[in-house]
Parts: sequence; structure tokens; C-alpha cells
Amino acid sequence: MTATTTLGRVLRGCAASLATVVGLAALPSPNTAWSAESVAELTPTAQLSALFPRSEAFDFDPPAPGSYALPPLKIAPDGAVLDHRARDLRLANILDGRISLVSFIYLLCSDEQGCPLALSTLFDIHQMSAYAPGLREDVQLVTLSFDPERDTPEAIDSFAYPIQMDREADKKLDWHVLTTRDLTTLQPILDGFGQAVDRSGNDDTIQHLLRLFLVDRQGRIRNIYGLGMIDPRLLMTDVETLLIEERTQ
Amino acid sequence: MITNWLKGLLCGCAMMAFTAAQSLADETCQSPYMPKITGQEEYVYVWTLGKEGVGDEQDKLVTVDVRPDSPTRGQVVDSLSVGGRNEAHHGGFSADRRYFWAGGLDTNRIFIFDIHSDPGKPKLHKTIETFVKDSGGVVGPHTFYGLPGRMMITGLSNDKDHGGRTALVEYTDEGAYVATHWMPTDDDPRGAKIDSPVADGYGYDVRALIRKNVMLTSSFTGWSNYMMDFGKMLQDEAAMKRFGQTMVQWDLHTRQPKKVMHVPGAPLEIRFAWGPNNNYAFSTAALTSKLWLIHEGEDGEWHAKDVADIGDPSKVPLPVDISISADDTRLWINTFMDGKTRLFDISDPHNPTQIYEKTIASQVNMVSQSWDGKRLYYTSSLLANWDKKGADDEQYLKAYTWDGNELTLDFEIDFYEEGLGRAHIMRFGSAAVSSS
Repeated sequence: MTATTTLGRVLRGCAASLATVVGLAALPSPNTAWSAESVAELTPTAQLSALFPRSEAFDFDPPAPGSYALPPLKIAPDGAVLDHRARDLRLANILDGRISLVSFIYLLCSDEQGCPLALSTLFDIHQMSAYAPGLREDVQLVTLSFDPERDTPEAIDSFAYPIQMDREADKKLDWHVLTTRDLTTLQPILDGFGQAVDRSGNDDTIQHLLRLFLVDRQGRIRNIYGLGMIDPRLLMTDVETLLIEERTQ
Repeated sequence: MITNWLKGLLCGCAMMAFTAAQSLADETCQSPYMPKITGQEEYVYVWTLGKEGVGDEQDKLVTVDVRPDSPTRGQVVDSLSVGGRNEAHHGGFSADRRYFWAGGLDTNRIFIFDIHSDPGKPKLHKTIETFVKDSGGVVGPHTFYGLPGRMMITGLSNDKDHGGRTALVEYTDEGAYVATHWMPTDDDPRGAKIDSPVADGYGYDVRALIRKNVMLTSSFTGWSNYMMDFGKMLQDEAAMKRFGQTMVQWDLHTRQPKKVMHVPGAPLEIRFAWGPNNNYAFSTAALTSKLWLIHEGEDGEWHAKDVADIGDPSKVPLPVDISISADDTRLWINTFMDGKTRLFDISDPHNPTQIYEKTIASQVNMVSQSWDGKRLYYTSSLLANWDKKGADDEQYLKAYTWDGNELTLDFEIDFYEEGLGRAHIMRFGSAAVSSS
């Protein structure tokens, strides 16, 4: 997906419903000023998912947000985590109060269908969130390493640096880049989410299934995505469904 | 849109490359969410019905060693009884392939086996006793289809009239109830387009094509029929009218029914093609002995059409389990009554042709093949009250090799001689794929 095509999508259809949901009258582009004409072209059915194009891997139109239910699956576990500055934090405190897209990754993973796929999808969402700056009040991204021995705070800091230094960071979603002190601290978190990890192979690799979790403001897991489901349109449709649910309750 | 810095970081950090995928095993009919890589299966798990007078008479999960170099290859290495008989039928792995869920069509009990701690010796991890109450009246947990973090279960019946109206039921991987999705009917289409003379609301199998956000269900019959003696049922005119005639297309993501298609004669197993551009699935209708293609048309809509006869439909060979090859060119179809397995060339999905057949036994039901199609396994039992009687009631696991022209028997296990029972669904196990 190129920035050009994405921008085209935005100009064609960025969300009136999104504007309503996140309290925006119009969505200023960080790169392109909105014209009166382009705003007038916004359709009432445009959605957050319209920020992203249809692709061969996800060859369907996403469902309308709010047209379906996302039953709570379970409570996301708490646990002690570290951020890129080695600060001690509680995961439950980070998840509390905002809708979170949570994924477990490790920086040495080079399986294209693993961590890089999750990270690139989250990065796409992070980038596109600049087009909906109000969204950061409601939604955040969280990545937690399942390789605490190598993904030290110093290591994840190098990953987090471009995110933290982004000159448009104040318009984009917060992205919490986290790790843990050790496997003993990490394992209950993995078990609580249901993230299977296999460390029985050679020391360099960690076999795992790609999983991404949607957690609501109350800390409840509302959807779990696997390979084949990491479609940014579906993720954002689910986010918007939760926002609509909150608004109507 | 992964930027250069992110690419650089990921590649640069990957100093120690992720090893190539392990050599794992899988049959070709599993949930696409599940880890599956070509290779040698190590164990075959057989969910087995207990039978009076045979062994401990209980339902059990039987583990057969199929490791090529094992001294116990071709032998039963574990048998885990669950207490009593439940009309053991189908089962499936959780999407992380660490647990095997198996159901009882009569008692509605669901058994969750831990197969990752020791793949050669499964343990009973949990039993769900509240399926009917949880689901709001669904009876007969049938297909167990693993989705990330949860299990999708098809019902066969309901607790009001024990007929065929039923639903899909979801549980979390931990065994907590999530939701019930009732099949669309004429009275309550639930938003679905009804493209059928009848929307019966029946259920049987479920499969998904994630890339198209499509889920399909098929339809069988209710408790009052599947628990009835087969011969008696055939003579019961009213009972014979209570079979499914539909398949339903669902929105996979929202679990909302989109279209009811007319597929008369009890369409059973569903197998989607694997090819990245193959937007179709096959099913077989048991009573009419027809092979059905469910496909996306040029209009973008999904349609069902019968594309071939299976054997001589006038003799009611009763097609049961099917297995599609990983390259989408072959489809194995078993017919219970004549005990045959038939191979169809489905290279042109609209014009399948039978190219091979072989009699496996007096009766045959399930078939599972390795990902490379070189090994096939067959089991015998359909339902306790539908299996043949007397000497024709052969109960077995038979392993064959397939060289592209001929099935050759590798080994067989007589499930009655071994004191086990009636052999039903098979699933493959591998320490590599199930370890945690």
C-alpha cells in the first residue's frame, strides 16, 4: 500500500461516522489540506476501515461497524512490565481506559508471517491514525516482547525511538513498546492472553503463533486475530464497533 | 507500508535467522488458522465410541503411533477412556493445536484433551457438561473448528423437539461459553437471503475461507434421527423427511448468515480448496449421492451446484467423509454402504470425474490424508445405531500409501479385537506442532 493510494482512499471516503465517533468535524490530513469539496464528498457510510485498501489477501468488503457484536472473551491479564526507559509499569494500568490493540512480538523474529506482519500492520494503523487525530483519545497500540532476555529496555528503545521522535506523534495513536524483566514475569501474561510460545527449538528462535488482541477500555479481550485475519480494515472496524457500542450504551 | 527504518530494524536485528519451518504434519481438512506444514505425522488420534461387550465399553481417545522409525509403529500406544458412552463422533484441534476437543452427540458432553504436554499420551484436561444450557438449547456438538482463541462448534439438533434446527456455538479456548448463532430459517432468516425452497435451519459441518471472509455450514438431521436405528429410520417416512436440504454462507467475521442455498439430500462435510485464487468448496449430499460445488460466481455471489454423481445414486451408496488434496486436484470420497473410497479428479471443479476406487471394508466412514497425499487413513464407524450389524460391522483403522495409481495397505488395527470400540474421527498429532 502506498501513501498515495491511502491518501486517495482518505479523500474518497474518510469517515463521517468516524468523525462522529471520535468527535471530529473533519479530518485534516497531515500532508494535504482538506478542501470544502473533499469534505463534501465524504459519505455517511465511510468508516475507519476506509483508511485502508482492499487487497488480494483480504478480498472482501469489511462489515459495517456496529452491525455486529463482539462478545467479551476474557479479562486481559495484569503483570509487571517495563517500557523502553526501563520504568516499572503494570500492564492493567496501561490497558485501562483506552481501547488497545495488543500484540506479542520479538525483535529478532524474521518470519515474514510472524512479528514483522503484526508490526507492519500496527505501523500502518499508527501512520493512518494521523488522519484521525481525535482517535488517540480512545485507542492505543501495545506491543510486548516475549523475548525479555534479548529485548531489553535498551533494545526496545531502539525500536521505539522513531515512534517517540515522530514529529506528528501528537496526532497519532500512542504506541506502548514494552518488555518484561524475565520469563518468570512474562509467562503469566502469555498464559492469560493464551499466546502459545515454543522455546524448545534452538536458542535463536521462538516459535509462536501470530496473535493480535483487541482489548476494550475495561480490560476485556473482545477479539483475537490470527494469521489471515490481520487486516487493518477488520481491526479498525472492530475498534469502531466498540466505540459505537460505548456511544449507544 | 512498512517503512525503511522498520524494515532495517527488523532485518538488522535478525542476526540469527528464524529457522525454516519445522517438518510438521497435517491432514488437508484442518482449520486454516492452525499451524500446518508438510511432513510426517507422528500420531493418529482416533475418537472412538465405546460398545457394550467390547473392552471397558467406554468412549475413548485412542492414540496410534505412526512414527516411521518407532518400534511401536502401527500400534495403539495409548487409550484414554472418558467414562461411559456419549455417542462419540467428531472432534478438532484448538487453533494453536495444543488441545483436542471431542463431542458426544447423545450426552452433549465435550471433552478437551491436552495433546501438547505429551503428544503420545493425551490427558483429559477439561469436560464441558453444560453445552445445552450454555447455548440456549443446542443439542449434538458436532464439528469443532478452531479459530484464534476460540472454538466454533456446530450443533445437530435442539432440546425442544430434537429435530434438525440448531445453531453454531462458540467457546473460548479455555472452555468458557461465548455466543450462539442460530441457523437461518424461513421464519427467522436473520438477514440472510433465502435462495432455496426451504430454509430448514439444520446444521452439520463448518469451514471458512478467510481470504473471502466466507464461512459455510451444511445440514444433516436431528437427535431423533441420528439416535434411531438405521433400518427402522429407513422405514419411517416422516423421519426420512427430516434431513437437511441447505447450505448457508455466513460472514465469517460477524457470524451473520448471508445466504441460504438449496443443497438437498443432507450435505455433510465441507472442504474448501487451498489455492490462493480458488474460491470454492466441495460437499457431498448423503442421500442423493451428489457431489456439490459451492463457488463464488462471476457476479461475486456464492452459488451451489451439483457437479457429479458419486457411484450409482439409485443404490444409495451414502457418501460420507471426503478429503481434498493440498493441490486442489484430487478429492477422496468415501461411501459407507459399499465400503469404497473413490478418487475424483477435481482439476476442473465444475466437471469432476472419478478416476479410481477401492473397497476398504464392509463399511467405511472417515478418511484423512497427509499433506503430501502419500498416506491415507481410514476408519469405520458412522453412528452407533447406523453401523452395520454382524460380520459387516468391521471396526478398524487402516493405513494406506498412495503412489498416484494405487492404494497399498500399510497396516491395520482391528478395534474390536483390541477391545477399543467403534473407530470414528481421526486427527494427526506431532510433537513438533503441539509443543509449547
